[in-house]
Amino acid sequence: MSGVPASAFLSLALILFCIGLYGALTKRNTVIVLVSIELMLNAVNINLVTFSKYGMMPNITGQVFALFAMSVAAAEAAVGLAILFALYRNKKSVNIDEMDAMKN
Amino acid sequence: MELEQLLDFKWSIMTPEFIILGVATLLSILDLFMPKSMDRKILGWIGVAGIAAATVSLAGFIDEPVTSILFDTFRLDSFAKAFKFILLIGSLFVLLLAISFEKKDGLAEFAGEFYYLFLTALLGAMFMASSGDLITLFIGLELLTISSWVLVGVTKRNKKSNESAMKYVINGGISTAITLFGLSYIYGLTGTTNIKDMSGTLMTMGGSQNQLYLLAIAFFMTLVGLSFKLATAPFHMWAPDVYEGAPTPVTAFLSIVSKTAGFVIIVRIFVSIFGSVPATGAQDALPMLLHLQDYIGFLAGATMIIGNVIALRQRNIKRMFAYSSIAHAGYILVAFTSMSYFTFDAIWFYLLAYLFMNVGAFAIIQLVGAKAGSDDISAYAGLYRRAPILAVTFAVLILSLAGIPGTAGFIGKLNIFMGAFATEPAHYVLASILIATSVVSYFYYFGIMTQMFFRPAADDSKFNIPVALLVVLIGSVVGTIALGILPNIAFDFLHDNFMQFKDFLQ
Amino acid sequence: MENAWIIPLFPLLSFLFLLLFGKRFKESSAYVGMLLTFASLVYSLLVLFERFSSPTYKQEGVWLTIGDVQLTAGFEVNQLNALMLVIVSLVSFLVHTYSKGYMHGEERFPVFYAYLGLFTFAMLGLVLSPNLLQTYFFWELVGVGSFLLIGFYFYKDEAKAAAKKAFIMTRIGDVGLLIGMILLFWQVGSFEYDAIFAAVAAGEVAQGMITLTAILIFIGAVGKSGQFPLHTWLPDAMEGPTPVSALIHAATMVAAGVYLVAALFPLFTASDVALTTIAVIGAITAIFAASIGLVQTDIKRVLAYSTVSQLGYMMLALGSAGYVAGVFHLMTHAFFKALLFLAAGSVIHAVHTQNIEEMGGLWKKLRVTGPLFLIGTLAISGVPLFSGFFSKDEILIAAWEGGHPILFLLAVIAAFFTAFYMFRLFFMVFTGKSRSEMKNVHESPSLMTLPMIVLAVLAVVSGYVNTPWFGTFLGDWLVEGNEALGHGHVEGPAWIMIVATVVSLAGIYLSWLIYGKKSLSRNWLGAQTLYKVLYNKYYIDEFYSMTIVKVTKGFSHFLRYIDTYLVEGIVLGVTAFVQTLGRLGAKLQTGQVQTYSAVAFIGLAILMVIFALTGGYL
Repeated sequence: MSGVPASAFLSLALILFCIGLYGALTKRNTVIVLVSIELMLNAVNINLVTFSKYGMMPNITGQVFALFAMSVAAAEAAVGLAILFALYRNKKSVNIDEMDAMKN
Repeated sequence: MELEQLLDFKWSIMTPEFIILGVATLLSILDLFMPKSMDRKILGWIGVAGIAAATVSLAGFIDEPVTSILFDTFRLDSFAKAFKFILLIGSLFVLLLAISFEKKDGLAEFAGEFYYLFLTALLGAMFMASSGDLITLFIGLELLTISSWVLVGVTKRNKKSNESAMKYVINGGISTAITLFGLSYIYGLTGTTNIKDMSGTLMTMGGSQNQLYLLAIAFFMTLVGLSFKLATAPFHMWAPDVYEGAPTPVTAFLSIVSKTAGFVIIVRIFVSIFGSVPATGAQDALPMLLHLQDYIGFLAGATMIIGNVIALRQRNIKRMFAYSSIAHAGYILVAFTSMSYFTFDAIWFYLLAYLFMNVGAFAIIQLVGAKAGSDDISAYAGLYRRAPILAVTFAVLILSLAGIPGTAGFIGKLNIFMGAFATEPAHYVLASILIATSVVSYFYYFGIMTQMFFRPAADDSKFNIPVALLVVLIGSVVGTIALGILPNIAFDFLHDNFMQFKDFLQ
Repeated sequence: MENAWIIPLFPLLSFLFLLLFGKRFKESSAYVGMLLTFASLVYSLLVLFERFSSPTYKQEGVWLTIGDVQLTAGFEVNQLNALMLVIVSLVSFLVHTYSKGYMHGEERFPVFYAYLGLFTFAMLGLVLSPNLLQTYFFWELVGVGSFLLIGFYFYKDEAKAAAKKAFIMTRIGDVGLLIGMILLFWQVGSFEYDAIFAAVAAGEVAQGMITLTAILIFIGAVGKSGQFPLHTWLPDAMEGPTPVSALIHAATMVAAGVYLVAALFPLFTASDVALTTIAVIGAITAIFAASIGLVQTDIKRVLAYSTVSQLGYMMLALGSAGYVAGVFHLMTHAFFKALLFLAAGSVIHAVHTQNIEEMGGLWKKLRVTGPLFLIGTLAISGVPLFSGFFSKDEILIAAWEGGHPILFLLAVIAAFFTAFYMFRLFFMVFTGKSRSEMKNVHESPSLMTLPMIVLAVLAVVSGYVNTPWFGTFLGDWLVEGNEALGHGHVEGPAWIMIVATVVSLAGIYLSWLIYGKKSLSRNWLGAQTLYKVLYNKYYIDEFYSMTIVKVTKGFSHFLRYIDTYLVEGIVLGVTAFVQTLGRLGAKLQTGQVQTYSAVAFIGLAILMVIFALTGGYL
């Protein structure tokens, strides 16, 4: 592992974040959008763990933070999917671009 | 961690939080064992009593010196206390609104959840106010956010409510990710998540150009991510849709408690972290926060313009109030931008004033909306004829929102305005945008007034005001006028008890 | 005087009481309002008399602490305040009485009286304020009160629009006032009038800053007092009930701007530029509004333009350092203009139209209103021995002595116009043939005529408190103990008084020729062979009708175009711009949640790009 510089991990995280953001902003299916948001959160976790290991002042706190971030992400996904269920029952659709009853 | 050490902590300073947590747990258990047919309103009143008890216990700590427990992750300083009062009073009013909210669209089934989720959201907000560590701050933020997602979608047979909850989840998730990404860089540069340690590290960090760049990027990401909670530009666009679709008490909650929590977190993070980093390598350079304040100022200006200008076109009163709440957040950002020596006072007072005027307005919106079956502005036609006292009450609150002298809103704006001039260099541009957009806001505020006073009523049916709503209305009008005529009540309270937040960084 | 703060509370009580219980009292709620404003009046008179013998009284307490700054609130009774208290409470009381008759049968009668109470409260509070912040407070409240009163007939679209326009237009001025006020605060560290004057006198404020703040504050007065170019709301505001016009547009709200300039007079005198600005704006307004008044056919609009013009006079006086002249005219104008409005209301009440083309020959039918209207007309025209004569004379002297010969000339021409159009109004309404459709014309009840009689007496005698012949009691008293306000009486050349008299008589005469005797064509075309002899005899009249009148008529139309297209155009342009912005913004709100996040992300990207491009820091 020591051969890989910290900047590589950080770049990976940044790329993952951008992929997630791209997915969240463009995908039509709401489930995919929620998954993309998970990707963005996971990019953060990579960042935290990298800093925890190779940062300027390496310590364990970053990994603890990452654990918290993961559990929160799980809660977010659960609530998000539950709300999507309720919406699907009423609308019979999970397409994000059909949610425009309110605008302007 | 040894058990003794754990028990050594002065847990008592968490009493308000414990009360809220206890009541929320109690409510969920009661809800489980109560017969289905029983009216859940009693749960709401228990919640109200719980918040009141928490407020009283918080008042008991008012003279407490700065205390922190759990390795400085939870701190009770004057900043936390002052803002917790706003959070608690705001939630109290909101819960009263919720009690008198008509249970339809499947809400009756979840009436219990409807009450205790407000409490968990409040708990999250209170933890944010008290946290001294990024992790607790983040957990508090998420507790608040996730609880409010459920609340927005709680009327699950209402399509608009579903849709606004979904929008809220998606935008909220993205904003969380952006914020966290920014925070992770800050952690990487300082090697700690404790806010106080961070500021210490950053103050002494000579800082290469690259590190400062990274820190600035973190600054922008955190700012934009958190602007979601404040509903300020550029992350404001969810607000109108969500405000429109959510049940009215939840809308009130979002515009009052959630927004206050947003300002709490933004002040905490930015003042303590970015307020102590020298913006350039030199030790005597200006802090980064002051160096980058033009960016915040730009966002504040954009927010005020967007909120007030688009509000002009709204026919749905909840949407209009969403834009107006965006605009008000912009006003408060002006105070935050100017970072004058009474910025904290100005933000605190404005949030308090906004709490009173807005919660009363939403009480009336809820009442009229339930009666008319729609939130269209035409439902207010001839309100003065139908219910003169109600119309005058609404007029007082609207005048306060518009910032007319004699009301709390005016004092709040005056404070911000003076703050913008008190710094060197003074923020003339922001101050003039503040004034100009306030003038624009008269148009839509007085549009409502015109409806109420100058239009004939469609029908003459009278209003039945439930007790809980009556309490909210009286409380909000008394608060609005009292703070408008004798603002020193609030300022004396602030100065006598909180020493102008001098212990913020201790 | 220690209890002067109680004066505004009576009308406030009336407002609150009628708001809560008005519906039960129906029309007898008028007695509540009358009684309470009468109490204000009595108390104001007591304060005024006490003020003659004792010094200025001021009482204050800390109101708000911001940081180290303490803001105070309280009240002050100085000469100007005491005088204004009496004027406001007197006119308000008379209007309360008059409205009992005028508004009879109105469904929302108690509401009307409640609004009157609110408005009177705001105005009385305004004149008692010892500092700028408190003044601003009541200043806005006056705006709210007038909004409610002007829009009282809300079922009329014009009334609604006028109420909104009045509120918004005056707010534009208020922005200037607010900014000026805050700037002054940062220079001086206090909103107190005394502290501001002391700082200005001690030279603690830079000259440029004095000028800037003075002009900004004057912008507030421009809005409130209907000065050019923010005057357009005032004529429109005539959509309110006529007693309201008498209250708002004669004695109180519009006078507030003049009052503000008078109250801050030492600040204004410290800057020549500011003074000159006031004088110029005042003179322009005076002639501008007077020339428009020449061609109006709505009785209330004629009076409205005359109000604008007279307010311009007051500003001209103040701008020429004629403090006494300005305040003096403020007082006499309050009386005779209130009289004119009430009399006009009485006429409208009798004939149910406001168009003067449809009136005529009412002199015989309205035996009380007619002479009273005539007294008011004589007073405003500046006919010798009436109050307007003395105060207008003072203003002309002030303008001349202040070294503004051009403005003086404008003021003289405006005086001629005033006499002309006021008598045009009088002749068209009261003389000539009575119309056949006006059979059932009755004099108004005594409840309405009595207040007019009181005002008529005042319109005649109030001038004698400050005359070059019997002593300048008012002037001496007003400036007593305050050097900064100038002298009680400024000696001017005697010919000014003669010019003023000649001009006003000439205006009346020309008006009589056209509208009374009808020996000149009403179309102002002049030269008809039938009256050739007359022309030759009155060569000066022909000169008028051929040149000045014709030119002024064109000029008047020209100014009206400016008014309609330029001033309103700018207002419309700004409104349209804001609305377009709103439409665009709303369009961007597509309802697509991904757009929302994308906007947030783009915002973030823009911030970062700017950051990167500027090399780090702005």
